[in-house]
Amino acid sequence: MTLSRAARLLRAVTIAVIVLWSMAPVGLGILTSLSTQTDIQAIPVRWLPAHPTLDAYRSLLSGTSAIRAGGTVSESGAFAHAVGNSASLTLISTLAILCVAVSAGYAFARLRFPGRDALFWVIVTTIVVPVFTIVLALFQIMADAQLIDRELGLVLVFLSTTTPLAMWLIYNHVKELPTEPEEAALIDGCTRWQAFWHVVLPQMRSGIAALSAIIVLLVWGEFLIPLLLTSTSATKPVTVLIPEYVGKYTTNYPLLAAAGVLALLPPALIALVLNRHIRGMLSGSS
Amino acid sequence: MNTGIPTRETDTGGTSSGRAKPVDLATRETARAGLLLVAPAVIITAVLVLYPLVKGFQTSLESADTAAGGTPHFVGLRNYGDVLSSSTARDAIVHTLLYAALAVTLELVFGLVVAMTLYRVFRGRGIVLAILILPWALPSVLSGVLWRRVLDPDRGLLNSLLEQLHLVSHPHVWLASRGGALVFITLVHVWGVLPLVSLILLAGIQSIPEEVYSASAVDGATPLRQFRHITLPLLRPSIAVALTVGTVWAIKIFDEIYVLNGTALNTRSILMEVYTITFVDADFAHGTALAFLLTALTMLFAAAYAVALRRSTT
Repeated sequence: MTLSRAARLLRAVTIAVIVLWSMAPVGLGILTSLSTQTDIQAIPVRWLPAHPTLDAYRSLLSGTSAIRAGGTVSESGAFAHAVGNSASLTLISTLAILCVAVSAGYAFARLRFPGRDALFWVIVTTIVVPVFTIVLALFQIMADAQLIDRELGLVLVFLSTTTPLAMWLIYNHVKELPTEPEEAALIDGCTRWQAFWHVVLPQMRSGIAALSAIIVLLVWGEFLIPLLLTSTSATKPVTVLIPEYVGKYTTNYPLLAAAGVLALLPPALIALVLNRHIRGMLSGSS
Repeated sequence: MNTGIPTRETDTGGTSSGRAKPVDLATRETARAGLLLVAPAVIITAVLVLYPLVKGFQTSLESADTAAGGTPHFVGLRNYGDVLSSSTARDAIVHTLLYAALAVTLELVFGLVVAMTLYRVFRGRGIVLAILILPWALPSVLSGVLWRRVLDPDRGLLNSLLEQLHLVSHPHVWLASRGGALVFITLVHVWGVLPLVSLILLAGIQSIPEEVYSASAVDGATPLRQFRHITLPLLRPSIAVALTVGTVWAIKIFDEIYVLNGTALNTRSILMEVYTITFVDADFAHGTALAFLLTALTMLFAAAYAVALRRSTT
């Protein structure tokens, strides 16, 4: 089908708007992070920094930001520490959720066993329950078990809130894979385990890549769960630390933006590199 | 239940009658493997989801004065009644429904525009699609933080722009009025969820066979008529899914409100009210009751869309 010239122009304009709209806060964040407080205070407003500088990044990473941020940054190196917390939490949670979800998703999609349908629907139904309702109840159990402000506690909560959705996504992926390779392996004398490990898992490669990316994005970006379950810099991830930079009366925007931009880098890279896989999984089954 | 990985040897050892029937053997092995593979997910759901939910529900039925040293006692649905008659909670429910209605409308309209624009092949489509999902991939607190500079009342970019264009004479405190604040917070929320809705609709449009369009084009149908009479009806299942996803995400709106306006009363959502009751007022009983009301509301919407979806596909 061919488009008329007017239609093509309209489409080009719409595409430009989509791209601009999608990148606007990030672009603005980068510009702000390169500005100085003078640029921010300037009247009339200065969209581009007069003298671009990396000062905000420097003070953020070297920990000399206490005075500049109006006293909101209490410890030196707090930001780097929070990045480390986020990374470790994301890595451990993702691995744990991935193992549980992939094995269950495969079994529900391919194997026959007693109680399969009932168990499947119970797990899938819990996806709709708002995370907060579960976390609220978990909070008291965690407090009793002394798991507040500990990484293990956070990992358990992420397992609880993310496993059902992850299982559902990978289940749909397995359902779409051809069954012939596994059947052939079984006829050739493989056990179920061998067939799963050597035939089906390699088939699921793109699905597992997409799922890992989605879990990483969910865990890295989660705010409410760590907001409730962390209290010290030993466990606080970036998503909880950065909003603390917002001052009550004035905000050091360059510093805030620099922190935001740095914390956005990992998810942005993952989204750009694995975007084809992620799109496939999100549009196919959510 | 099983303790180790079942192998052929243990299987044959365990069966008394099925030794001669390889089919039975395979079935048993499969059943065992299946149960073992789903066991971790089932245990996690039972221990970390269902058990806390039951415990939480119990909390919501007990008296709230435990903080004062009293022992909790059963009060039935009184906490639910208290919450529903509190004016801040009622406001929060109204705000949440407003957020959801506005967000879902915007997501559906703009999602359709995005999907209709991007479903054909063109040069650079891959890059545009990669950029499209960026807002969904980025943490909502961080994008909220980055939007702040736009909405800041003193030196905000929006106020400055409007002043330069002489559209306003003095800076406007965008997040202070109820209407303006709700709209801006919704926009920041929509920024993050629109990619997901667009992708769902895009997949739906791409599954419509091209022949349907070419046949109707021969009959002289204009693009607009094609959209109304072919695309929209065939897209109904995808629209139902998009509505569900959009509503479920909007009902639990929290992050955007927290970073843009804190716990301010004029923008409080249900979840923000739950947060305030539970963690600021330290009243778990009422907080949990409201959280369960939120759960019921979410499930109600999800069920309604599921019914609508079933009706439209059969």
